[in-house]
Amino acid sequence: MMLLIFSILWGGLVVLLLIALGKEKQKSRDETERGV
Amino acid sequence: MTTVTNERLEQFSSRWALLISMIGVAVGTGNIWRFPRIAAKYEGGAFLIPWLVFLFLWSIPIIIMEYAMGKGTRKGTVGAFGKLLGHEFTWMGAFVGFVSTAIMFYYSVVTGWCLRYLAGALFGELQGLDFEGSQTFWNDFINGYQPVLFHFLSLAIATFILCGGVVRGIERANRVFVPSLVILLLLLFLRAITLPGAVRGIESFFTVRWETLLDYHVWLDALTQNAWSTGAGWGLILTYSVYMKKREDVVLNSGITAFANHSISLVSGVMIFAAVYALLPVRAAEVISKPGPLNTGLAFIWIPQLFSLLPGGYFFSVLFFLALFFASMSSLISMIELAVRVLNDAGVARNRAIGFVGAIGFVVGIPSAVNSAFFLNQDWVWGIGLMVSGAAFAFAVLRFGASQFREQYINAEGTDVLVGKWYDSIVKYLIPVEVTVLIGWWFWIAIQADPNGWWNPFRIESVGTCLIQWGVVVALFIGFNRWIARKTLEGP
Repeated sequence: MMLLIFSILWGGLVVLLLIALGKEKQKSRDETERGV
Repeated sequence: MTTVTNERLEQFSSRWALLISMIGVAVGTGNIWRFPRIAAKYEGGAFLIPWLVFLFLWSIPIIIMEYAMGKGTRKGTVGAFGKLLGHEFTWMGAFVGFVSTAIMFYYSVVTGWCLRYLAGALFGELQGLDFEGSQTFWNDFINGYQPVLFHFLSLAIATFILCGGVVRGIERANRVFVPSLVILLLLLFLRAITLPGAVRGIESFFTVRWETLLDYHVWLDALTQNAWSTGAGWGLILTYSVYMKKREDVVLNSGITAFANHSISLVSGVMIFAAVYALLPVRAAEVISKPGPLNTGLAFIWIPQLFSLLPGGYFFSVLFFLALFFASMSSLISMIELAVRVLNDAGVARNRAIGFVGAIGFVVGIPSAVNSAFFLNQDWVWGIGLMVSGAAFAFAVLRFGASQFREQYINAEGTDVLVGKWYDSIVKYLIPVEVTVLIGWWFWIAIQADPNGWWNPFRIESVGTCLIQWGVVVALFIGFNRWIARKTLEGP
């Protein structure tokens, strides 16, 4: 139970942060290509 | 007052700065001392399940609303409601803003307590305290002049931070507060779970008594904890969202904010349960679950005793009260910023607005600092008022049109994750039901507790006192609605 709840919250947080990191890199690349 | 024509809207310097500041809004004393207390009431894991359910069914949907409204309207609560719904509803945004401001008046008192105990930990005053000693320390503090002094100091620190603006003030402060409090809590967590006997606390925290889930109280307490501890519906996230870049995402950031809030609560809960069961096993359940004076028993009566029993207790007590102070201060600055943003939108220069809000905050907070009954009353009235604020947000989105709001404000430029039509159903059906049930339940408890005086506005925790205080505030804002709308939406 402990592992499940920690996994949902902390694991979920890490996953969301990784997705955000990926999206940020994508946005920066797009902006560089557009010359922003 | 000096009017503003050319103050440019500052923006957070990066996504991470924005997120850290938002987490600073969400994480406060409620994560550290209220969450473990409510979890203990239900003797462990059964509380965690509804608490997680309402993360998705209350907190995240409303936080999405706030991010979207702040980013989309670029106005504080008053202007955001006005822009979204039309001038005639500006008063509603004023009510939402007032609820959080009214909380700020006594939250700075609470921040003052945290600061006092931090000083006490640093100077070794909390060392060697037994139960009587802890009580005496608290009573001597609360009955003297010090709560007013530390209330003043908290506001002074907060307003000083805010004078730096968004980047050099709010962002810079939260870059220190938030990572520090996470590290501090993790260190305390590691210390607690490695104590002999800690495993009993951890087991207690996570053991699920499934039949508890059939008790509606656990669901209502879980929803309440979400309403009071994630920042959803306070207008604070909306305020900081005004300073988001256009390219910033709403949905993923909302999820990160809410998940981070709950994750930190979880660490705190395990830490408390582990430490208390290890160090005070006989009285563990009582220690964690009793509210104590002004609902602070755990933090200010029992924690000092725990640290007195712990090797290296001095060091850990400093860590704990530093984390508590950082959590409290990061939330306090956002509450002041909310009021400052509203005044700034109305044409008041930023530093003047900060001074004004700080001064008013100090004066109006003094009764809470010196009178326990007044403090408890304000906590009751405006705590439940937050649920009305949640309803106001849902109303705003519904009146604007849930689908249109989703398309225009949530799934707007910069969004990393699109939100589907399921969101409309949550706003249209679920949140109004949740609000009605919540407010109805808290009022029902109040009526049951005081059948002869529930209507009495002078009782500390009555239905009457809520309705009268909310009523006066709403009436004033409706009365001045045209003026408020003109100042906020039409500029100087």
